[in-house]
Amino acid sequence: MIKAKNIEHYFGKDRVLKDINLQIEKDSFTIITGESGSGKTTLLSILSTLLTPTKGEVEIEGILIKDIKNIDKFRRENIGFVFQFHYLIPHLKVFENIVINANDKSLKRAFEIAKRVGIENLMDRYPHEISGGERQRAAIVRALINSPKILFADEPTGNLDSKSAKNVFSLLRELNITVIVVTHNRSLISSSDRVIEMKDGRIC
Amino acid sequence: MRYIFSIFRFYKFKTALIFLLSSVSIVSMVLIGAIGNGLVDMYASMLKSDGDIIVTQKGVADTFFSDVNISLVDKISKIENVKSVSAIIVGAGAISKIPIAGIYGMSENRIKKYKLLRGNFPKAKEVMIGENIDRLLSHPKKVQIFANSYRVSGVYKSDIGFENGGVIMPIYEASKIFKKDASFFLISINKKAENIEKILKDIQNLSNAIDVKTTNSFIDSYNQFKIIKITSLVISSISFLMGVLAIASILSIMVYDRRYEFGIKRALGISKSSIIFSVVLESVAIVFISFLFSLVLADGILYLLKHIDKFQGYISGEITPALIFYSAGGVFLMGVLGSLIPSWIASKTDPMVLILRG
Repeated sequence: MIKAKNIEHYFGKDRVLKDINLQIEKDSFTIITGESGSGKTTLLSILSTLLTPTKGEVEIEGILIKDIKNIDKFRRENIGFVFQFHYLIPHLKVFENIVINANDKSLKRAFEIAKRVGIENLMDRYPHEISGGERQRAAIVRALINSPKILFADEPTGNLDSKSAKNVFSLLRELNITVIVVTHNRSLISSSDRVIEMKDGRIC
Repeated sequence: MRYIFSIFRFYKFKTALIFLLSSVSIVSMVLIGAIGNGLVDMYASMLKSDGDIIVTQKGVADTFFSDVNISLVDKISKIENVKSVSAIIVGAGAISKIPIAGIYGMSENRIKKYKLLRGNFPKAKEVMIGENIDRLLSHPKKVQIFANSYRVSGVYKSDIGFENGGVIMPIYEASKIFKKDASFFLISINKKAENIEKILKDIQNLSNAIDVKTTNSFIDSYNQFKIIKITSLVISSISFLMGVLAIASILSIMVYDRRYEFGIKRALGISKSSIIFSVVLESVAIVFISFLFSLVLADGILYLLKHIDKFQGYISGEITPALIFYSAGGVFLMGVLGSLIPSWIASKTDPMVLILRG
């Protein structure tokens, strides 16, 4: 379970999140949606430990994030993150990107997941040698490589055609882990357990 | 290493820029150190060649101003275990159209140790000239030194660079020019001589107007060497510091430029220490490669400087093991400093902030 208590966040003087309180159940599929600039990505970053909120606390499985001594280890063992712009490391091949922080046992898994998203033949290429959609799929494989307990995804289907987007969503849906996705894509909302709508830094 | 080279390949331009700038800094650092030491070493070599003991005028710390009574040569030669005594006058002045060059007056036994490229050793009213002076003056038959004209008896080549840019004449001729008997004596002793202190004492007992020292202790305490060494140390330290700062700042920019990459890695759960280590290793690797390249380049430049006639052999340097050791230490420091600080700062920043700012 993920709990956010009285979260506020500022970028400089701009208050981008205002008094956010929410609770996300374990193994649920949650979508955060809202207009551009509503604070979706900032909230996702805070919930996923990638950003420290200006005020408030986040708790994952009963542990306050601020109390976690080795946050890197915690992320590696518990969290997967798919970024909006894939953010593959440009000087590493697709396979190297996927296994950059993989546990030893998960190398076989890399090919299994890659096959599932249709990039198993692209493993030996550099990110600039493949399309935007393929990069995004590689980023999804990288996020899932260590079998995370929670997957955060920021517009994971933003660069994909509708068919690929549905495939990716069905893949995420079948994971049976806690998945929190930020998306604009209204057609995908129906597949979620819960939708959190945001406006002007608040949950509607 | 494969990972590091994949980074170098990907960031070709930045890597080339860092390589170039760090090479320039390292070459400057090494050259200043080598030339400073070279200058001292050349004069020290001149004194050390066939000189176990040096005799100078009492209380005169500079060989240029020292005047020793030449009649002592015979007396010193008779002391037990003294193999040979050379009397030398060192001075400087205009030689024909060259405004300043070294003028050495030497006793015959010293003159005959030089390697002649052509001609003969000088006699009265004659000089032999160094190969650089010979080229600069287009193989002259005569040279003008102060108001006097001297016939060129031969051309010599010396391993001590600056001697090639000077002239050597019999000591009695130099004595007329510089109005002194000898600047100093260099005394060679038998290798089997066990008690050098006794020889020093015996020589000292011959006159109250002389200082007698082993050549090594003289070189260690010689005022001019101290000045050159300290000046060289200060200049090379400044150059070193500037090099360190320049390279550290270039590396910082490169690391700063890749903040988003560190953000992604941290978001993926790669530990801060592992990220810092790989960045430091990468930086140390590139500066170390430029260090090796710079050593070869500096050695090539030193060779060229040594053979430029215009410098008369005064610019000479040697890349010593000590210089390599200290430079390598500095280079290592550059790599570590330049990458450790920005990567440490990046490691303290939230991953998402790094990604968004990157």
